[in-house]
Amino acid sequence: MREKFPQAHQAHGVREEVGVEIPERGVAFTPEAFPLGAISEVVAIGPVSGLGLWVAGLLGEPERGSLHPEFIWIDGADAFDPASFSALACSRLLWVRCRAVVEMFKAADLLARDGNVPFLLLDTTRLPRKELLSFPAAGWWRLKQTVETHGGRLVVMAAFPLVPCAKQRWQLTADLSLQDFDKTREELREKLIMIPEKFHRAN
Amino acid sequence: MFAALYIRDFSVVAVLRGRQEFAGLPCAILATAKKNAAEEKSPLAAINQAARQRGLAVGWPLNRALVRCPELRVLPRDPAAEAALLAECIELAESLTPDVEVTAADGLILDFCCPSAQVRAALDSLELPAVELWHAQAATPDLAYLAARHASTQGRSIVSKDLAAVPLDFLDCIRIGHHFTALKLLETWGMKTLGDFMALPRQALTERLGLGVGHWHDLLHGKTCRLLRLHRPPECLTQRVTFEEPLTALEPLIFSLKRLLHTLSGRLAARHLAASFIELRLLLETGGEVPRRIHFPEPQSTVEGMLGPLQTWLDSLKIRAAVSGLELDAETSFAVAAQREWFGRQLPQPERWAETLAKLEALLGPDRVGIPVPVQTHAPDSFHLSPAAGLAQTQQAAAMPLPACTLPLQRYRPPLAIAVAHEVRDGHPLPLALLTGPHPGQVLAARGPFPASGTWWQPTDAWQRLEWDIQIASHHLLRLVLEKPDRWKLEGIYQ
Repeated sequence: MREKFPQAHQAHGVREEVGVEIPERGVAFTPEAFPLGAISEVVAIGPVSGLGLWVAGLLGEPERGSLHPEFIWIDGADAFDPASFSALACSRLLWVRCRAVVEMFKAADLLARDGNVPFLLLDTTRLPRKELLSFPAAGWWRLKQTVETHGGRLVVMAAFPLVPCAKQRWQLTADLSLQDFDKTREELREKLIMIPEKFHRAN
Repeated sequence: MFAALYIRDFSVVAVLRGRQEFAGLPCAILATAKKNAAEEKSPLAAINQAARQRGLAVGWPLNRALVRCPELRVLPRDPAAEAALLAECIELAESLTPDVEVTAADGLILDFCCPSAQVRAALDSLELPAVELWHAQAATPDLAYLAARHASTQGRSIVSKDLAAVPLDFLDCIRIGHHFTALKLLETWGMKTLGDFMALPRQALTERLGLGVGHWHDLLHGKTCRLLRLHRPPECLTQRVTFEEPLTALEPLIFSLKRLLHTLSGRLAARHLAASFIELRLLLETGGEVPRRIHFPEPQSTVEGMLGPLQTWLDSLKIRAAVSGLELDAETSFAVAAQREWFGRQLPQPERWAETLAKLEALLGPDRVGIPVPVQTHAPDSFHLSPAAGLAQTQQAAAMPLPACTLPLQRYRPPLAIAVAHEVRDGHPLPLALLTGPHPGQVLAARGPFPASGTWWQPTDAWQRLEWDIQIASHHLLRLVLEKPDRWKLEGIYQ
């Protein structure tokens, strides 16, 4: 309903929507903030969640290019825009351009098993919700087991809570508008709000 | 004993050999003109015998040469012809001895460890068609080289004192240190020949002009005998197999490939080298071929390290014809023997990484995996993917401009064609509402238009567009594009 009638839900605040009363402003911009050997999830909340800004913060502004990729971006909908990041930041990233959910999962499984690059970013935000939900939950659990065995970090970026076995889930939001285009990325990062979700179940 | 070969008027001869219409005519090649210098004042870099007979000399400016010899033909250099002539000369020299040094483009030095009368006779009878080939012999390589370049000493076996009459500027061909400054200084001292120079005391020369000039002195007196930098033909690792019966199954193909890789691995091990990439060609029964180049993150020399990525590729390959042959080639580099860096990240298992990349390419297709590199153009969605196997171009990356927009974009590939309600204000269209597409709604605010165009000098590839960053009623931030004449597109969303 929220997707179909976004304007009807507009009056409600984002924080109210996710059921967290007091937001914590600590934003995880380092890979170490995510648990090793587990799947974490970052859920983009609201029309402008600041997900791109968060990724830009994660890649940082290195002074030297990287000889080997340090992050792998598994792009479910082939939506990544290299021109939005500096060339040096892009040199830290291996871009895997997928066209469908199945391709994305197979690529994630291959890279999680490989283990050479221990930080995987799985972008599902632009994939159709129906297609994502039709993927069996057992696939996520298998992927979790692979990540546990090979000891990497897998962060799933999603438009809604998607991963049933995520060890940690963050909700990311930012109140951005057209006026913010004149600000620097550092100033905009101050507006990011990353809220850890408290799980009441055992994984 | 060493011998030297010298091709007189090398660059002119190389050009004239293939052009009979210039036979007997005075011809010259110009030295590369300096920036902003007029061509008529460019010096002559090389002339042929006919031009020399008309009184011209190397180094004359062109306008002066044309006054002396109006029928002079100026020819452009032909690097391919020069390379071919040098290759012929090397082949000729290698018929006498395998130890040959390519000292300059126009000169070779040959090492005769035990010269026989037969070899000397063969040296005298060396010839190339339409080429004046001079030679000389001496106890040291540089003496032989100097002697071969001068008319009075060529064709002889010389000792140091035979060079006494050779002009001093012949030392210019032995480039050591600040040779040009030292030569000029020696000329101002009144030295004209090598004999004048050789008569000077070495110690005093070294004190005044440096060690390089002392080295010249030793060289002319035959006191130094350096090692030759031997010419070796490029090593070829290409292997080819043609099957008696064309193959349609994978197993025999892998079996043949393994055999080729075993041979390659042995050859690499014998040379203490490794393969940085390998190139495999499947020759099809229909006459076509399927090429594939695989880069390794780290140079490989083992069969297992090289076979994995190739096997993954072959597993995923679908071809319409049987395979009638295989061709395998490799680019060599030195094997990684260095200790791993403490502060730089290395791949823990590079051989597995190459295989994973090959599997990903098999899954997703070509050009779907790589390190994104923005390119220096304003054309939309321009980038190229560099191979992920250790070939990052970090120096180029540092010179690239920073992104123009502070908020990263998520693109629609290809951009979505949509209908937009708009009005024209101040000669520019202004979007009012998105009527179709994934985010219909009223445009609350817009930044733009930002005009962009490119490749206007090529009418077929020229592009022109207007961009807006817009916020619609659902508070989504979008990038809207109008391409001439009237095509609205949704290019991406700011998330």
